[in-house]
Amino acid sequence: MSGFFSQIWTVIVMNILSLPRRLWMSLATVFAVAVVVAVLLSFLAMANGFEKTLAGTGSDSVAIVTRVGSQSELNSTLSRDDVNLLATSPGIASNDGGDPNYSAELYVIVDGIKRASQTEANIPMRGIAQQGFALRDNIQIVAGRMFETGRNEIVVGQGVQREFDGFELGRKIRFGKTNWEVVGIFSTGGSAFESELWADAATVQTQFQRGSTFQTMRLRLSEPGNVEPMRQFIEQNPRLAVEVQTEANYFAAQGEALNSIAVFGWILSIIMGLGALAGALNTMYTSVSSRSTEIATLRAIGFSNSSAFFGTLAESVVLSMVGGLLGALAAFLFMDGFSASTLGASFTQVVFTFELSPQLFRNGIALALGIGLVGGVFPAWRAARVPVIAAFRSGV
Amino acid sequence: MKDLYLIFRNLTRKPLRLFLTLFATFIAFMIFGTLTAFQEAFDSGVDLAADDRLVVVNKINFTQPLPISYVARVSALEDVDAVTHLNWFGGYYQEPKNQMAMFAVDAENFLKVYDELIITDEERTAWLANRQGLIAGKAIAERFGWKKGQRIPVNSNIFSQRDGRTDWDFDVVAIYTGAETQTDTNSVYFHYPYFNETQSFGGNFIGFMGVRTTTPDLNESVIKQIDEMFVNSPAETETVPEKAFNKAFIEQIGNLGLILTSVVLAAFFVILVIVGNSMVLSIRERTGEIGVMKTLGFTSMRIFRMVLAESMLLALIGGSLGIVAAIGMVGLANQAPFQLPPLIVGGSLWGKALAYMLLLGLITGIVPAVSALRMNIITALSRN
Amino acid sequence: MTQDILFDLKGVSKKFVKGKETITVFENLDMSIARGDFLAIMGPSGSGKTTLLNLLGGVDQPTSGQITFDGGRVDTLSENQLAAWRANNIGFIFQFYNLMPMLNASRNVELPLLLTRLGSKQRKKNVATALELVGLSDRAKHSPREMSGGQQQRVAIARALVSDPKLLLCDEPTGDLDRETADEILGMLQLLNEKHGKTIIMVTHDPAAAKYARRTLHLDKGKFVEKELAA
Repeated sequence: MSGFFSQIWTVIVMNILSLPRRLWMSLATVFAVAVVVAVLLSFLAMANGFEKTLAGTGSDSVAIVTRVGSQSELNSTLSRDDVNLLATSPGIASNDGGDPNYSAELYVIVDGIKRASQTEANIPMRGIAQQGFALRDNIQIVAGRMFETGRNEIVVGQGVQREFDGFELGRKIRFGKTNWEVVGIFSTGGSAFESELWADAATVQTQFQRGSTFQTMRLRLSEPGNVEPMRQFIEQNPRLAVEVQTEANYFAAQGEALNSIAVFGWILSIIMGLGALAGALNTMYTSVSSRSTEIATLRAIGFSNSSAFFGTLAESVVLSMVGGLLGALAAFLFMDGFSASTLGASFTQVVFTFELSPQLFRNGIALALGIGLVGGVFPAWRAARVPVIAAFRSGV
Repeated sequence: MKDLYLIFRNLTRKPLRLFLTLFATFIAFMIFGTLTAFQEAFDSGVDLAADDRLVVVNKINFTQPLPISYVARVSALEDVDAVTHLNWFGGYYQEPKNQMAMFAVDAENFLKVYDELIITDEERTAWLANRQGLIAGKAIAERFGWKKGQRIPVNSNIFSQRDGRTDWDFDVVAIYTGAETQTDTNSVYFHYPYFNETQSFGGNFIGFMGVRTTTPDLNESVIKQIDEMFVNSPAETETVPEKAFNKAFIEQIGNLGLILTSVVLAAFFVILVIVGNSMVLSIRERTGEIGVMKTLGFTSMRIFRMVLAESMLLALIGGSLGIVAAIGMVGLANQAPFQLPPLIVGGSLWGKALAYMLLLGLITGIVPAVSALRMNIITALSRN
Repeated sequence: MTQDILFDLKGVSKKFVKGKETITVFENLDMSIARGDFLAIMGPSGSGKTTLLNLLGGVDQPTSGQITFDGGRVDTLSENQLAAWRANNIGFIFQFYNLMPMLNASRNVELPLLLTRLGSKQRKKNVATALELVGLSDRAKHSPREMSGGQQQRVAIARALVSDPKLLLCDEPTGDLDRETADEILGMLQLLNEKHGKTIIMVTHDPAAAKYARRTLHLDKGKFVEKELAA
């Protein structure tokens, strides 16, 4: 006997070849596992896409200053004096002209119509000055031009363009009582800034009656990641009720909501996976009992009971893996690249795309494998214990 | 009744198979029950919105303020029953992550407009008399352990006091309950004067107005009247029925309804396939017995009914257990630290679930039942 | 000697269409069975004895001809009517017993009574009587798995008797039993016939079994060859 492994291989092949006899039950298992994996990957892709958008948004070499406890740009407020004082802090890089490299910005909300649902949703409008562009990595005007200072002009992020109606180049839009013109479209490589509208800071202040206040201040750090000098400066000036952190940290904190998406996705998939597991067990137990004469005959011939065990286990794993691959394929075809937007931390829409990655794909396959193994091991054990005498019984 | 015994014995012949199919059904209905409870809770925000209430916000966006002078002008309209104004306070308790829905309101009118928030007459008088008083909903009070009569500090993540502090002191004057079980009790309300006179921004501004019309039929007309009143002024208004406002808010999160429905459908499909297959297989195994029953004189129709009853029973038992489990899950979710609308598994959910159980029983049973109906005695017996 | 005819077949034909061929099992068959008779039908495989049994049991209908039972026509009944007819008149005994595996002995015997309007108490009484008749009262609560072949067949006989049918139809009742048990079962059938007056038709291939009957008909290619046995 060329041994242990060739026996097992023979039985595995026999089992797989006999699948058509149990076609519908086997398909049921494949389908069940496919659905579970598809659901898991959809949720993970959602969380992943959302995270990538936010992660890509914050830069390590830029610091953001907000009012203490404000939690989002929307709630923060900084006066002109605050801004001027902060500009004198150590730790800020200088631009070419030798001046501190900072940008004081506003963040207001306007309404737009979501393309998909045709309902109103909040879009952030950022009041920003020319210096602000330099503080965003990857920024590019992909169509039209930048807005001119002092005019009612806006540039639209690519994400907004994709998800909302009515922001095409050249369109005139009315917010409240003022008319604005879309003069350009910008991209920032897929970060959350693409969900925004940008306009001249001073114009926004006037039109939204903000006087001379701002909401946030961004500065280029002289040393990437190091906000210590600024922190100390703020402490020494108790008038400043503000906090500073790197932009990267700020957006990372914002992204905590998506932890719950991923967690929810896993919990749901595991629960559904238990249901699929019940189906897999059912299929495999049926498989074993319908083949019990066959198994016993093999044993009478001389095959070991390990071969029966692994043959059954392999059948279960094959069915589940086929299901897992189909589910992953479905998730990839239907969900990957799917653009969506949802409520971010500031009550504004963050546009993101569902994104599958090799790591997520591995997660899906692992789940399928798990179902296949657990769904197969108990019936396999039963197969290994089919008594040889079953071959001699007439009729079931 | 005599048939019930046979049906029961047929169901229990293979205990392991019965357990597995029951379990799969159980899982699907647990998912259905939990997710539908979520969906109903979100929808209730829309459903429970009063028909005769409108929300007046700044036309640019509801985060932009309105001048307080607007309140008197709206109140003067003939078809307006009562008007109140609200300001989002951005309050949090002890830590910034403990954010709450907290509003500064004109108390007396507020209670008139939002009469589904219930406090005793005594508490009402006490609140109106206490400038620093606030009323908090049952759910939020439970979450933070607030008791009536307590004095608590609350911070704002937007506003500061004139002296630079970001915390305000309040007396918990009453804990309100909701008129319906699903009325939201997660909000906190305090006096506008206390807010306005102490906040550092200055200016008499409000966030939005809640308007009660004399009758819902006049909603359209009142909406027009209000918005026309402020057209071409520095702050133009947009008035919408409260139902529409709540709905739009939820839709901002995304098509939650679609996601939840898709997941539930997926779960149902999975068990449909699993249980359906199991039933077909089960009947096929019993071909000989069905032949004998028919020989003994059981009519085909009677056997058809018995098979269908078997699949229905399976669906009803598994499904009911699943809904009971969903009640447990929902109970857990209600304890969760983050704010959710109150989740309940009520009569309408049970009703929906039962309908689905019957449908599932029908679909999984019809093919094997018909095959048993049509089974020819001779062929059935000769399979031996 | 006027015989009281229970079952009368006149000019009965049974044909099957298989693809393009028509297979004739019987053509113009005549047969009559008297009340209280114990008839054995023998024949090689392919002789049509199973088909004949199916016709007698109302499980199949003739292609042409008349079948009369106790004065009433059977060949014109609808399927539902046949089911009721079987329930009221016939008791079946099969080669492989065909007991329901998930029911115990008394529940198995009770099955035909579920087709009647009898109440629970009456049903239980009748079941007890039937089990006593076959000598298995002490095994009432046992499941088929716990019984030998002979015991299972006796439960099947009890089931066939419990509705007090006019006719017992047996299909190779001892085909799966050893000699000794077979004799026991056949002896019981004989008793039922001689002492309780049950009319019995038994299909068998075993000449030793046929000896227990009053008369034997031999079927060959759809035609009868009669052979009387000494009573």
